[in-house]
Amino acid sequence: MTTLHRDPVLDGPVDLIPDEIELIEAAMRWHFDPRTGSPFWLEQADTLGFDPREDIHTIDDLARFPNIVDRLRYVPAGDLIPRGYAGQDDAVYGVYDSGGTTGPPKHVVIMSDWMSRLLVRTDEEMDARDYPRGVDWLALAPSGPHMFGAIVRETVRLRGRLGFMVDLDPRWVKKCIAAGRADHADQYADHIVAQARAVLESQDIGVLIATPPLLERLVRDEELRRLIAERVQVVEWGGAHLDPDTRYLLRTEVLPHTRIIGRYGSTMVLASAIERDGLAPDDPCIFDSFSPFVTFRVVDPESGEPVPYGSRGRVVMNHVSKSALLPNNLERDEATRIEPPLGRVGDSVADVSPVAVFGDSPVIEGVY
Amino acid sequence: MPARSPSATPPATNRAGPTDSRAELIELDALGPGGPFRSRNRLPITDLAGLPIAELSLVPSLYVHRAIAALRAAEPLSTADRLAALARAGESFATETVAELSVDEYSHAVSRISGMPISVVRHATETTWRALLGAGRDARQARPRASVDDWHDPATQGGRAVWTRRGEVFAVHAAGNHPGVHALWPQALALGYRVAVRPSRREPLTAHRLITALRAAGFGADQVAYLPTDHAVADEIIKAADLAMVYGGDDVVAKYGADPTVLVQGPGRSKILLAGEDWQRHLDTLVDSIGDEGGTACVNATAVFTDSDPGGLAAALAERLAAIPTLPPEDDRAVLPCQPTEQAAALERFLLDHAAGTTPRLGGAGITDPVAGGGVALRPAVFQVNRADAAQTGIELGFPCVWVAPWAPADGIGPLRNSLVLTALTHDERLLDQLIADPTISNVYIGDHPTYWMRPDVPHDGYLGEFLMRTKTVLRD
Repeated sequence: MTTLHRDPVLDGPVDLIPDEIELIEAAMRWHFDPRTGSPFWLEQADTLGFDPREDIHTIDDLARFPNIVDRLRYVPAGDLIPRGYAGQDDAVYGVYDSGGTTGPPKHVVIMSDWMSRLLVRTDEEMDARDYPRGVDWLALAPSGPHMFGAIVRETVRLRGRLGFMVDLDPRWVKKCIAAGRADHADQYADHIVAQARAVLESQDIGVLIATPPLLERLVRDEELRRLIAERVQVVEWGGAHLDPDTRYLLRTEVLPHTRIIGRYGSTMVLASAIERDGLAPDDPCIFDSFSPFVTFRVVDPESGEPVPYGSRGRVVMNHVSKSALLPNNLERDEATRIEPPLGRVGDSVADVSPVAVFGDSPVIEGVY
Repeated sequence: MPARSPSATPPATNRAGPTDSRAELIELDALGPGGPFRSRNRLPITDLAGLPIAELSLVPSLYVHRAIAALRAAEPLSTADRLAALARAGESFATETVAELSVDEYSHAVSRISGMPISVVRHATETTWRALLGAGRDARQARPRASVDDWHDPATQGGRAVWTRRGEVFAVHAAGNHPGVHALWPQALALGYRVAVRPSRREPLTAHRLITALRAAGFGADQVAYLPTDHAVADEIIKAADLAMVYGGDDVVAKYGADPTVLVQGPGRSKILLAGEDWQRHLDTLVDSIGDEGGTACVNATAVFTDSDPGGLAAALAERLAAIPTLPPEDDRAVLPCQPTEQAAALERFLLDHAAGTTPRLGGAGITDPVAGGGVALRPAVFQVNRADAAQTGIELGFPCVWVAPWAPADGIGPLRNSLVLTALTHDERLLDQLIADPTISNVYIGDHPTYWMRPDVPHDGYLGEFLMRTKTVLRD
């Protein structure tokens, strides 16, 4: 028999948002206590040059941590499980991978208590945005090693009826594109759209989830566009960037009567941030994170300092919960820094885009 | 369902004159099926000094696909209406204020953005006007004589070829090297195509002006579209259209050359051959072929081959070309093209690197020369190579730059191949037979004719109509 470790803050009610400092301090005690921390973090502790239990109290303090996410490609994923969960039934929800855009995928472990907390939060967010209850969903989303499919499945169980899934393998698409085989990627996208068409034509879908490129392919087809416009109440996009012009066109011209809601997530924070409610088609698309568990900062990548509100910078993400500690991860995305909603910590982000590549290489030869 | 947001229609503005440095930016909105569209993603278009002059609304892939779907769904105007609208558009393009720019403001802005001498811009405006007036007639030059234009022609009663379109939507990836490139594609409108043009970021004004004029003259928003995009979306226009024309270098030829739905306008690599002729008598034509149009066109001579005294010829060309003055492009007397300093420096490095091993006759120490108001003029360059098959003779650059090569009958036509225009100053009939038969030479001018000679009723690189149209048999009672 092992002692079950409970912590008043980390194990607080699933619908309670803890105070920033209370959460961070409790999490530092948990992850760096030899009885409860994960083998991964306990091994790191000596190399940090500071004592997290003494020195880390706020979201801003998390910037002192090194970015460890690259190590998640190689460490045994079981070492990520905090020892404090030992002996608890069904403690592990699952192990998931990052997309694998750059190099081997990074592994993360999701514990069941985090999934419960995330689902309660998701449920509230969807209520606030009038997602219908009890309807059928269609998700064009990666399952298998990817966390997103699992979250969709749980969400449908929680508040939907039937969840139709069309699977997709983002790694294969990236491989095709990297190999210069855009035609193969096109063919694959057509294959997914064909499966989605079959569902949309025969089922009464109330909520549709898709990546922006797949959503665009769906609505390029006038028949599918009409089907979606007539039946679907909420279209949720995520998993890739949506440029402001396409978002504007979707909301004003293509699907003017459908609610179109964005989600900005990362496997590395075990969550996603939903689009702020009430934004107009031409407003910046703002995402508010599930703080203080999941927080963003928008920084100048050179100095690491925050950029002024309204300016562009690189996104840094933190995840702090009983389930995991994933601090100070500099993402490859750029965003506008936005003030968080009242009472929330960290930054909100707007108009997220891939890091801009400046300067086309100059074409020199030829007259054109 | 056109977009009708406050931002979708640009407000009328009082634009200050071109000399006012505080002038407002020229807004180059996309022109889609719902009218002008000012995107959130706008690209600053700068002049030679790097000062912003215009803003180009870049549209995303979804906009492109919806625009092309609208073009495809639209019926073409009647033939008579098309030709009348083309003529009206040509006149207003060349003489009136269009998209809030007078002809002078337009020419000035093009020369400041692209560095093209303003006289070349003005001349291209005239050429484009004439091309629009004659677009119907010129397009029909490609029609096989055995065919008729319309199935209602009585000839089909006994069975006859009818000349018909190969598709409905024609896309153009326009080039920015010369405003004259926009004189060709309007033939597609004359033939009943709906046309989508993706402008070059190097010079997006001319296409915007022309399409605005075409719309005002009667082509609806579902007949002709202006779709600026970034590189990533550019391919979507070609994919979505039925047929496309793309300007570009060897990379573009490699990418689209095998695609039967894409007409590639590749490198010009125009050349001049002197065989059994005294070059002294033809010096004017040689100099003009190299330097006319600022040397920016695909029909400018890239290489001159001679069977006598290449050294003397190179020296004479150098002397003549060296006399051209350095002037800013908006100067009426300007002849040379200009470029922003940094871009020109890269071009200069490229030239000098590739000229290694040749004998510089002009420009061997560099070709850039600063001009008042920012940027540099690209001064002429003359290099002498010592073999007819020197690789340099294929290096075509957008300013007066020529490679002078020796040639002997034993070299054959190999070094003369892959030419948009070949001016052949020779009386050797057997050689001329070979040049005219060669499929990689698009045009052969025999005698004292500059390589840039053009007339809209003769083919430039084949007739556009050869690509856009086909014949089919119609037999009726």
